[in-house]
Amino acid sequence: MAGGDRRFILHFDWTLFILVLALAGIGLVSVISASYAGAHRTLDPLVIRQLIWIAAGTVVMLIAVFVDYRSLQAYAYPFYVVVIGLLIAVMIAGHATGGSRRWINLGVFHLEPSELAKLAVVLVMVRYLREDPPKGGWGLRHLIIPFILLGIPAALVLKQPDLGTGLILVLITITLVFVSGLNLRTMLVLAMAAMLAAPLSWHYLKPYQRQRLVSFINPQADPLGSGYHIIQSEIAIGAGGPFGKGFLKGTQARLNFLPEQSTDFIFAVFAEEFGLAGALLLLTLYASVIARGAWIARHARDRFGALLAVGLTAIVFWQVAVNIGMATGMLPVVGITLPLVSYGGSSLIAMMAAMGILISINTRRYLF
Amino acid sequence: MKASFKQRRARIGALTLALAALFGFAVIRLVLLVAIYGPRLNSLARHEYSGGTELAAVRGSIVDRNGEPLALSVETQSVYARPRRVLESSTPAERSKLAAILTMPPISLESKLSKDAPFVWLERRISPDKAQAAEALGIDGIGTISEYKRFYPESNLAASVVGLAGMDGQGLSGLELQYDKLARGEAVELSFYRDALGHPIFDSPLALKAPAPGAQLELTIDSSIQSLAETELAAEVVQSGAKRGSAIVLDPFTGEVMAMANVSAGGADVHDRLHNPAVEDAFEPGSTMKGILGSIALADHAITLDRQFYCEDGHFTIGRHTIHDHSRHGWLDLGGIIEVSSNIGAAKIALTLGSERYHEGLRAFGIGSRTGIDLPGEAAGLLSKPSGWKEIDLANHGFGQGVAVTPIQLAVAYAAIANGGNIIRPYVVRAAYEPEGRAILTHTPQVMRRAIAPDIAHEMNLLLRNVVMSDGGTAAKARVDGFIVAGKTGTAQMVNPEDGTYYQNRHVSSFVGFLPADDPRLLILVVLYDVGHEHFGGLIAAPVFSEIAQGAVRDLNIIAPNQPYDTAGVIPMPDFGKDSAGGNSDAKSAAAASAEVDDYLPVLTGSTLTRATPNFAGLSLRRAMELARVSRVNVDVHGGGYVVAQEPGAGAPLNHLTVKLTLAPIVADSGAGAATATQSGVVPASYFSGGGGLAGRK
Repeated sequence: MAGGDRRFILHFDWTLFILVLALAGIGLVSVISASYAGAHRTLDPLVIRQLIWIAAGTVVMLIAVFVDYRSLQAYAYPFYVVVIGLLIAVMIAGHATGGSRRWINLGVFHLEPSELAKLAVVLVMVRYLREDPPKGGWGLRHLIIPFILLGIPAALVLKQPDLGTGLILVLITITLVFVSGLNLRTMLVLAMAAMLAAPLSWHYLKPYQRQRLVSFINPQADPLGSGYHIIQSEIAIGAGGPFGKGFLKGTQARLNFLPEQSTDFIFAVFAEEFGLAGALLLLTLYASVIARGAWIARHARDRFGALLAVGLTAIVFWQVAVNIGMATGMLPVVGITLPLVSYGGSSLIAMMAAMGILISINTRRYLF
Repeated sequence: MKASFKQRRARIGALTLALAALFGFAVIRLVLLVAIYGPRLNSLARHEYSGGTELAAVRGSIVDRNGEPLALSVETQSVYARPRRVLESSTPAERSKLAAILTMPPISLESKLSKDAPFVWLERRISPDKAQAAEALGIDGIGTISEYKRFYPESNLAASVVGLAGMDGQGLSGLELQYDKLARGEAVELSFYRDALGHPIFDSPLALKAPAPGAQLELTIDSSIQSLAETELAAEVVQSGAKRGSAIVLDPFTGEVMAMANVSAGGADVHDRLHNPAVEDAFEPGSTMKGILGSIALADHAITLDRQFYCEDGHFTIGRHTIHDHSRHGWLDLGGIIEVSSNIGAAKIALTLGSERYHEGLRAFGIGSRTGIDLPGEAAGLLSKPSGWKEIDLANHGFGQGVAVTPIQLAVAYAAIANGGNIIRPYVVRAAYEPEGRAILTHTPQVMRRAIAPDIAHEMNLLLRNVVMSDGGTAAKARVDGFIVAGKTGTAQMVNPEDGTYYQNRHVSSFVGFLPADDPRLLILVVLYDVGHEHFGGLIAAPVFSEIAQGAVRDLNIIAPNQPYDTAGVIPMPDFGKDSAGGNSDAKSAAAASAEVDDYLPVLTGSTLTRATPNFAGLSLRRAMELARVSRVNVDVHGGGYVVAQEPGAGAPLNHLTVKLTLAPIVADSGAGAATATQSGVVPASYFSGGGGLAGRK
C-alpha cells in the first residue's frame, strides 16, 4: 500500500461499491415491507437490526478493501478450521428453529456459521487450486483433496439440515474447479456420475425435503402444505403486476400468507410492492454485480486473485439464481437467502466482506 | 502460465454466458408470472386476504306529504357465530343452552356450527332480549350485531306504491325499488383483511366503514286521501262484483299524485306490494276517450262546437260492422255526444278527423307512451300505427276501442284538459332527505309538452261539466255538493287475451273527472275491472269518485265557490277585461318586484293557498314564466322586454285560466337580451309550455 494511497483512491471500485449499497438499500426497504404491521405501529425491531447490520457490513467491507487479498492465502486454512469448529458447535449447542439447528446464540447476535462456510470453502478451494493444473487439466485424482475440503462442511451443513447452503457449497466448488482448469473428460465422467447418483440421493432426503420436491413438480398436490410456499410466492409476484401495489401496500407478505417473508422469500415481497419493473431492476443490479465480478476475475493480475474473484462472484450468482428460481416456482424450495437483500446479520456481513475482497482484488491490479 | 491464463479467461467467459442465460430464464419466468398469470394470481390474492360480511345500512323511512310514516326500519339483533372458535371454546351443554335461548333445535345449531365458514348467522332479526341472553352465555365466538327490519306501520296503505324491501334491505318493488339507491344508504361493510390464519386485521384499509343511513323519502301521497280512496274503492269492488279496482288522485297542475290505490276482490295481501296496476297494466278505456277525441278535433279545427252529427238512431254500419249506441239519438253536437256518450257520434268525429291527425293528437296527449312517473315498471299502453287503421278501426278508436291506456296515462291526459292543456309529468316522491335533513333530491312540477291550447281545454272543460251536472249526463252520481264537477264515464268490454275478441259480459268501467271545474284542484280517476253487464262507469265508478272527492275536498280545505250551476250548460267565458287594477307599474320597480317573487315562491307551493292573481309587474319574460308556472296560471304574452301591464291585476281573485301580460323593452340601460326580445316581436303564449326546458328548475 505504501505510496499507493492516491492511486488506491483513484482506482477504488466505486461501481461495485454503489451496487452493493443499492442492493442493501433495496433489502432494507423490503424488510420494512415484510415486517410492516400497520401505520400505528412503530418501526419493527427487525428493521433497526437490519440497519445496524448494513452499517456494520459496510465497515467490514471497507476493512476488506484495505486488506491485501494476497495475505488471505495465509489465513485460508485457519479460517476453514474455525468455521468447521463452529459448524460442529452448532450441532452440539445450536439454536433450533423449525426443526433444524442453524444458529449459535452469541447474546447480542445469532451467528449462522453456514453463511461463513461459503466464504471458507471459497478461500480454501482457491488456496488449493492456486497452483497451475498439469497439462490437460485437473484429473480425477487431483480432485480428491478438494472433494474432502468440500465434503466436511457440506456434510455438517446438510446435517443441520440446511439443504440450500449444502447445494451452494457444491455449486461453488464445481464452478471453481471448472474455471481453474478441469480436464474436460473428467468433467463428463463426473457429470454422468452425478446423474446416476441423483436418484440414490432421494433415499437420504428427509421426508419434508422429499415432499418439497414433489410439490415443486406439482404444487397443487398439497396447496396448504408443502406446496404452500411456492403458490404463495407466485401469488405475491403475480399480484404485484407490472408496477406493483406500492410501498407498504402489499397484502400477501404483511398478512403472513408469504412464508419466510423477510429472508428466503423477500424477493416476492419486493416484487409484490414494486411489480415486474422493480423485480427486473433488482435482477439488473445483481447481473451488474456478477458481470463486474466476472470482469474483475478476467482482469486480475494473479491466478489466486482471479480464482478468488470467481469464487466470490459464484456465491452471489448461485444464491440469486436458486433464491429467485425458488420464489418464481422454477426450482424446489430450499432455504437460501437473497444476497445483500434478505434479513440476517451473518448473511449480510459475510456477503459484504466478500464484496470488499472483490473490490480489493480489482483495486490492487494497479498497485503491483 | 500463459496457456492456463487464456484458458481461465475463456472458461470465465463461457461461464458468464451460461449464467446470463440462467438470468434470462428468470426474467422470462417473471414476465410470465405477471403478464399471463397475473390477473388470476391477483384474484387468488384478493380471495385470500379479504374476508367479511355485509350488513345493510338503516334503510331510509318513507313518509307521506304530511310526514306520516308509511315505511320504517326498526332495530333488531342478529346472532352470529364463528364456528371454529365456538366449537373450541364451548361444551355441548353450553351449546344446547344457546339453542334453547334461540329457540332452535340443538341439531340445527350443531349443523350450522359444523360449516367450514369463518362466519355464520345463527338467528337473524330477533328481539334484543333474546340476543342479549345468547351473548350473556359468554361463549367465545358468539356475538350479536344490530340489523334493521323493514316495517310498514300503516299495514297495506299505499302498498303497491311503496312496494317492498327484502330481508337484506334491498328494494324489490315500488318506491322501495325505484329509489333503492337513495333509501338503502351505504351498507355497513364488515370487511377486513385477514391474515393467513384467518384473523381479521381491523386496521387494514378495507376496515370498518361508518354506516351511512339511507335517505328519507317524502311522498306527494296524502295518507288520509289514500286511505279514503282505498276504502271506497274496496267497498265498490265488493258491491259491484269487480275483480279489482284502481284509483288515482292527482293535482292536475303539478302532477303530484295524492293517492294511488289498487284494490283486489280477494282483499289485501303481501302480493299487493309487488304489483302496481295503476301504472303497470293497460286497459281499453272506452268512452273516456271521447273527451280526448273532442279536444283533438276542436284543436285541429276539424269540427266546431256547433257542428251537428247525425247519430243514426243508434245503429251505424261501416262495411260489415255495426256500431251501437246505448240509446237512440238523432242530431247531436260535440257537447251532446259527450254528454250522452254516443259511440256513433264519436265514430263520426274520428272519421272527420282522419287517422293521421287523430293519432298525432293522441300522441300529444301521451297515449301510447309512458308518463315518466317515478315508479318502476310503467307500461306504455298500446296505440297502433295509423297506417294500419281501416275505417272501422278509426271509428272504434274514436270511442276508445282498439287502444289501451294505463290508469296513470288516462289521468294525465285528463289533467291536461283540467289545467289548460299541459301534459305534466306525474310524480310520487316530492323530496328525499339525508339523515341530517339536507334535501338530496326534490321534484318540482314539470310540464312535458302542450297537448291543446288553453281555450280548447276550457271548451272541453265546459262540455265535461254537462256529463256530471246536466240531468241528461251519464255521471250524475259523480256530483259533489257545492262544487261543479267535470268528467267523463267509460265502459268498455274486456278483451280476451287468448283470441283478441271482446268478452260479452265482462267490462272495465271507469270515471275520470276533476273539480272545482273552474279552478281544478283535484283530478280523480276510478277504474273498476271485470264487472258484469249494466255496470256502467256512471253507475259504479262515478259514486266512488264522488266519495273520494268529498273527502279530499274536506281534507285539503278546498272551499266551494258557491256558484250555482246553470243547468242549461251555458257558462260564460271569464271576462278578462273587467278588473284591470294596478298592473301599470313602471319598469324601474323591476328589482323590487323580483325580490317579491323570491319571497312569493315558497308560499305558492302550499296546496291550501287561497289563490289570487300574482303580481307580474316589472318581471322579465323568463321571470314571468317561472312565476306563472309555480302559481299555476297560464299567461298570454304580448310584446317583449319587461312586464308593463297585466290583466287581471295583481291580487284579484284568480278564477281565470289565463292572465294577459303586456311586455315592453326598457328604453334606457337595458341589457342586450331585452333588445333581442323586442325584435322577435310577440312571443306566443305557447312558449310558456313549449317543452321541458322551462319547467323543473332543479
